[in-house]
Amino acid sequence: MTEEETAPPPPGPEPGRDRPTGRSALRAGLWPPRATRSQLLAAVLLFVLGLGLAIQVRATGSEETALRGARQEDLVRILSDLEDRTARLEEEKSGLEEQRTELETSSDQAEEARRQTEERERQLGVLAGTVAAEGPGITLRIDDPLGAVEADMLLDAVQELRAAGAEAIQINDVRIAAGTSFVDENGGVFVDGEPVRAPFRIGAIGRPQDLEPALNIPGGVVQSLENEQAEVSVERQEKVVVDALRSAEQPDYAQSSP
Amino acid sequence: MIAVLGLVLGVVVGILTRPVVPAGLEPYLPIAVVAALDAVFGGLRAMLDGLFDDKVFVVSFLSNVTVAALIVFLGDKLGVGAQLSTGVVVVLGIRIFSNAAAIRRHVFGA
Repeated sequence: MTEEETAPPPPGPEPGRDRPTGRSALRAGLWPPRATRSQLLAAVLLFVLGLGLAIQVRATGSEETALRGARQEDLVRILSDLEDRTARLEEEKSGLEEQRTELETSSDQAEEARRQTEERERQLGVLAGTVAAEGPGITLRIDDPLGAVEADMLLDAVQELRAAGAEAIQINDVRIAAGTSFVDENGGVFVDGEPVRAPFRIGAIGRPQDLEPALNIPGGVVQSLENEQAEVSVERQEKVVVDALRSAEQPDYAQSSP
Repeated sequence: MIAVLGLVLGVVVGILTRPVVPAGLEPYLPIAVVAALDAVFGGLRAMLDGLFDDKVFVVSFLSNVTVAALIVFLGDKLGVGAQLSTGVVVVLGIRIFSNAAAIRRHVFGA
């Protein structure tokens, strides 16, 4: 390089001499194209410069090569940024998946709990007499021409059936549950306050092979009824329907405690 | 005139042929271009001063490009490539401005 920054500005008093010199030199260099050595050399170097300029401008302008020209340290930084971002997103994703699994299992559990509750409600309803029931069992028919059957005999029959595993029992149209009362009144039998008259038809759901022998044992219910001149018949049935219902009673004072 | 034609031809060829620069040299191309620009402005000023010498121009052009690329290369190796290239660009920019000022005085007399 021949030029230095110390070159002073052209002195003020001689602008007229400087101006034509600069312009004429420029004009002389430009217009009559002379194939001198210096012109050719400058052309070659400027060709290289133009080439470099064009390449660089194009490389900078195009998006997909933005990373190609990047320095190694920049690339490392970009890469680590991307890795951080990936890690963050992975974390978020696993969190969301966990949440989803949790929600799915909890809804499954709620469904299962609801199903079990319904099942239990049904079972308890059968025991409490608030829902109808059907299943294998026996029917016991007592004809009482002499009117000798009393409440305690019916109670014996019910207790015998219960002891043998009867799950749902009704006498005529009265459902028998834990709190059912048997009362003799005015020569008749009242079950839960309802008058029950002969012939008594007792339906009991349970294992027939257990229920029938329980009634027929010597000295048992059937024998004692027959001693009172009643006609008793016991039949095993594939399907006994117990459809008499009791109303569910809400206890006034007792609360369920866990 | 031929020199100007050479510059125009270089730009046109660069745009049309889309040459591929080796990946290893790519970071140095912008610095080299700026350095070459500096040399060209210096040459132009020397021409207006009536001091133009083709040999000096060729040597200054090539050495400028080489030294600029070398400095950046060294900076990359030392881990300060980005800062050093900024520094080189600043220095070359100052020189280009001062040369442009001298050229302006010659051409416009102001």
